Amino acid sequence: MQTKPNVLILRTEGTNCDEELAFAFAQAGGNPQFVHVNDLREKRKRLKDFNILALPGGFSYGDDVVSGKILAVELTSFFEEELKKFVGRKDTLTIGVCNGFQVLVRTGLLPFNTPENMQATLVNNDSGHFECRWIKLRINDKNNSPFLKDLGNTIVTYQVAHGEGKFFAPKKTLAAIGKKHLVALQYIDEKGNPTQQYPENPNGALHAIAGITDETGRIFGLMPHPERFVLKQQYPNWRRETLRQAQGKPHGLPIFENAIEFCKYI
Amino acid sequence: MIQKIRVKELQKHIKANESLLKDINQLVTSAAINGIEVVKVYRLDGITKQQADFLAQKLFCEQITQSYSVNKYLLDKSCTVFEISYKPGVMNPEVASILKSAHDLGIHPTTVDTSKEYGFFGEATREELEQMLLRIKLFNPLIEYIRPTDDPVATIPLTIMTDDELIELSADKLFLNLEEMKTIQRYFKKLKRNPTDAELETLAQTWSEHCAHKTFKATLIVDGKKRKPLMTRIKNQALKHKKNIVSAFVDNSGVMDFYDDQAICGKAETHNSPSAIEPYGGAMTGSGGVFRDVLGTGLGAKNIASTDIFCFAPPGTDPATLPLGTLPPDYLLKRVVAGVRDYGNRIGIPTNNGSLHFHHDFRAKPTVIVGAYGIIPKAMAKKGEPKIGDLVVAVGGRTGRDGIHGATFSSGEMTDRTISVNAQAVQIGNAIEEKRTFDAILEARDNGCIHAIQDCGAGGFSSAIGELGEQIGVTIHLEKAPVKYEGLRPWEIWVSESQERIILAVPKIKQTELRQICKRYNVEASFLGEFNGSKKLHVFYEDEIVCNLDMEFLHHGLSHRTMIATKPSTSNVVLNRSQDDVPTPKTKQDWNQVLGKILSHGNICSKEPIVRLYDHTVQGRNVIPPYSGAQMDGPTDAAVIRPLLEKPYGMVISHGLNPILTRLDPYQGSIWAATESLANYVSVGGNYKESSLINNYIWPFPDEENLWSLDQSVNAVVDFMSALQIPVISGKDSLSSTYRGKDGTVIRIPPVLCISAFGRIPDVSKTMTSDLKKENSLLYLIGKSDFDAMGGSTYFDIYNLVGKSIPKISLQVLPKVLEAIQKAIANEQVLSVHDISEGGVLTSLFEMCVGGNLGAAIDLKPFKNQRPDYVLFNETAGTFIVEVADEKTAKKIFSAVPYTVLGKTQKRKIIAVNNGPQKLFDTNIESLKKLWKEPMQKLFV
Repeated sequence: MQTKPNVLILRTEGTNCDEELAFAFAQAGGNPQFVHVNDLREKRKRLKDFNILALPGGFSYGDDVVSGKILAVELTSFFEEELKKFVGRKDTLTIGVCNGFQVLVRTGLLPFNTPENMQATLVNNDSGHFECRWIKLRINDKNNSPFLKDLGNTIVTYQVAHGEGKFFAPKKTLAAIGKKHLVALQYIDEKGNPTQQYPENPNGALHAIAGITDETGRIFGLMPHPERFVLKQQYPNWRRETLRQAQGKPHGLPIFENAIEFCKYI
Repeated sequence: MIQKIRVKELQKHIKANESLLKDINQLVTSAAINGIEVVKVYRLDGITKQQADFLAQKLFCEQITQSYSVNKYLLDKSCTVFEISYKPGVMNPEVASILKSAHDLGIHPTTVDTSKEYGFFGEATREELEQMLLRIKLFNPLIEYIRPTDDPVATIPLTIMTDDELIELSADKLFLNLEEMKTIQRYFKKLKRNPTDAELETLAQTWSEHCAHKTFKATLIVDGKKRKPLMTRIKNQALKHKKNIVSAFVDNSGVMDFYDDQAICGKAETHNSPSAIEPYGGAMTGSGGVFRDVLGTGLGAKNIASTDIFCFAPPGTDPATLPLGTLPPDYLLKRVVAGVRDYGNRIGIPTNNGSLHFHHDFRAKPTVIVGAYGIIPKAMAKKGEPKIGDLVVAVGGRTGRDGIHGATFSSGEMTDRTISVNAQAVQIGNAIEEKRTFDAILEARDNGCIHAIQDCGAGGFSSAIGELGEQIGVTIHLEKAPVKYEGLRPWEIWVSESQERIILAVPKIKQTELRQICKRYNVEASFLGEFNGSKKLHVFYEDEIVCNLDMEFLHHGLSHRTMIATKPSTSNVVLNRSQDDVPTPKTKQDWNQVLGKILSHGNICSKEPIVRLYDHTVQGRNVIPPYSGAQMDGPTDAAVIRPLLEKPYGMVISHGLNPILTRLDPYQGSIWAATESLANYVSVGGNYKESSLINNYIWPFPDEENLWSLDQSVNAVVDFMSALQIPVISGKDSLSSTYRGKDGTVIRIPPVLCISAFGRIPDVSKTMTSDLKKENSLLYLIGKSDFDAMGGSTYFDIYNLVGKSIPKISLQVLPKVLEAIQKAIANEQVLSVHDISEGGVLTSLFEMCVGGNLGAAIDLKPFKNQRPDYVLFNETAGTFIVEVADEKTAKKIFSAVPYTVLGKTQKRKIIAVNNGPQKLFDTNIESLKKLWKEPMQKLFV
């Protein structure tokens, strides 16, 4: 396949983490392109021409009603078939960060790839307020997602910046998520264990879930922002800590490199 | 536009009207009314005039007994007209039927409304008639109202007014003084006509202190000596240091050179008056406005960083001490923070840096300063100019009645009536609207669609379009401006300060392209008119002339003032104690108690809970956030960002202010503020020689004494530029920090000079944070401290004492110190750096320990002639604590500047202080940390 996989960075009103997400994919060797949702609706651009669909963070449509809802409804109303076809292809990946994760959950693509049937949700942080801070996460070694290749059990430090990030699902759904190893990352405490303690778990997410994938591992959503740590200097403590984890790279970068590698060699 | 269909009975004085007249004459004997006519009015939006005509014939008017008009009055001009309609928001039961019928006729209006016009003939005045209408209950005031007349442009009989009448007209509305009102009067006398409401409003906006900076442009007589205007002095000195300047004082922000054919820009704005009466909305529109200033720079810059600096009365201020008409400070603080949070986070511009200051006298009016910073290709960085034939395009939000009189209002003083009289002056913000507008404009810029850009801030269209057309003139058709709801009068559309609107000058050949770009981003673009060679500001609403002013008079008709400044005979600061002294702490308990009080002082305590509410890393550019260190809770000194993600170049942003010191000594206090901004700047690795400054003056109303202190402060800024050889390239003044209560209370809010610094560095990896990095490294105090000058310090404040002399900063030594620190960081010779400011040496050291999760042992032996408490708590700006691995390195890097060894870092988390052989005290960092974090946690977690 071509040397640089095409990444669709979806923009709409209120998208605001698009630039750094594109930069992260570019750093990893991809070819990111900004596509406004109106470009898709008016067919100036086609989803099928891309390898990766990336939904950036932000406040799509002002997070009116609830976060990510309006965009989720737009996607399922206008692109349901296109989306189904896209995620059904074995050579594509889909990632949603923060608001993008909220959209993926509200379209039903996560956790079980059931478009229009929403099975989990992301609700207001337990603290009742927006939270911007660095937090530690552990990557689930049992999840086989291509995004997480060779990262099992790694402890990474990412930024969170959200007000509606508490992962919530009915008990049965949670059990299924656990059983199928769909949990991708969990908030952890100083000792490295999943935690419900604030602020280490910044939103009170059930089972400390910060990110999940679908069963194929090709759809991935997470609240923290790996794209904000793809350069050493984006992390203020690089002066006092050595970056041993995540292959010694800036902690967010391997996720994007894995994605690009996957598309190149499948 | 809205089509208005009017329908009238053909027979004069038909029966229904006669019976109404009878009722009136029964109830109101004195009413001199001899006839009534009634007209039914239908307003329909979203249809053409032809369609309106068709509907009038088919639906609204039965021509056997009625006549109709479209967009014209039917009532005789000699009668007094009242239009009664449902209040906005009240459901009009007729509307659904009209809509249905219109649809059935194949016409699809978007909105419909109906009302009635009553015309009264006779001698009765408008006021008498209004009283009468209420008495006879012609309408139900719960759901109906007398609708303000919409289209006729009102003419104000200015030319025949007496001085008293001119003053009355100006008060509460125009905020111009008599001399200015008379200048306007003379202009219209010469034209042999009276001004329209819109013309007066336009002049009041353009000539407001907020827009015209009359005080800064005035010739001054200071203590009997004539001096050049403040603005001239600042500009003249600034332009002596222009090697990095791209544009200064001419655009919406100051622009300086960056790398790789890029430029960076910065602007700081105050938003005090709106924040005082509606803090959430005020803070939002403050952020929105300053972001539009950056967008409105050159041909359009991209916002990449912001700062927020607030001054409030201390939380928990006794409500009994709050002046009438002001809001409690805790509420103000929380709501302002919430406004900044919701606007900044949503629009996706990081809030990188800020500070919070408390003083009791801010209870009358807070100071809210918001800064924004951007990047722009250098080729587009100069202010654009419209060409003859360019189109005037309004992009973004719709126009409503919000924010009318914002510019004139913020130029007025706060009184106990401000909240009730001027509530309309506060706008509401919509960050998403602004974000999509920015997205569209930046794309339009890159496609050559923009010749010039101006944001709609204070004064709305009138200022933005008036400024853009200053040189060549412009014609505008206000009916083309999309409105939020109907019923706005032309002058209201013209001066409304509705948010999120930008005016562009667009070359004709690019109009289709611009429309397409805007459509793609779901942004409304309205073509309002054209720049032409008329040198006039010519505004129409349909066929009515709304405004026809000479640009020359509008922009240059205001004569410069001469103002008098006089040194106060006695200090207006009340010293709380006669003695300039406090007891030296003796025991370990004494020391710990003092330290606890200082660290929990509002100006010192940790602001982390606020920072966590702001997204300070969105866009991925952040290199040094507000807090870093082992547990991410050590405060840093300044922000460093990476404007171009793919390049190593950095932008440094910092600021400094100290309202207490500027009040005590406007000159030295201002030097302190400027020094603090650069001390913060170099602490993170910034090279001050590659920086530019922004000055914001928030001063009490410029009476003679306050003007004297303002003059002193400007002298300080000019001297500072001269000593450091760097320019101020942008600034703003807000001279209304005075509160006047009904009972005669006058509160002069402490004068604030806030200096912001921004600039470039070649490599973001050559930067520094304040957290201690290692055990057993050496700590040095760098710079020249003025230990005896404790006036205005936090240490004195905890004794409720102000003091007399404030720290004097040597402008000879300062540049060398700043350079030494910056070079040491660039050469990677130091482990951590933190500047000393409020709270003094011990506070800075404590913060470094927090960041490093380490302790320190220091010895005051080298300061043997000084009081130990003064050494530890003195607040001389431009001094630093530096962590260095060994003595040899320290000697090498600091040989040319004053430096003293303080002690060593250690693993044990205590700070131990010795004075030679004598052990002074030690203190537990964890328990101090609790005290330091508690105040803001209480408010925000």
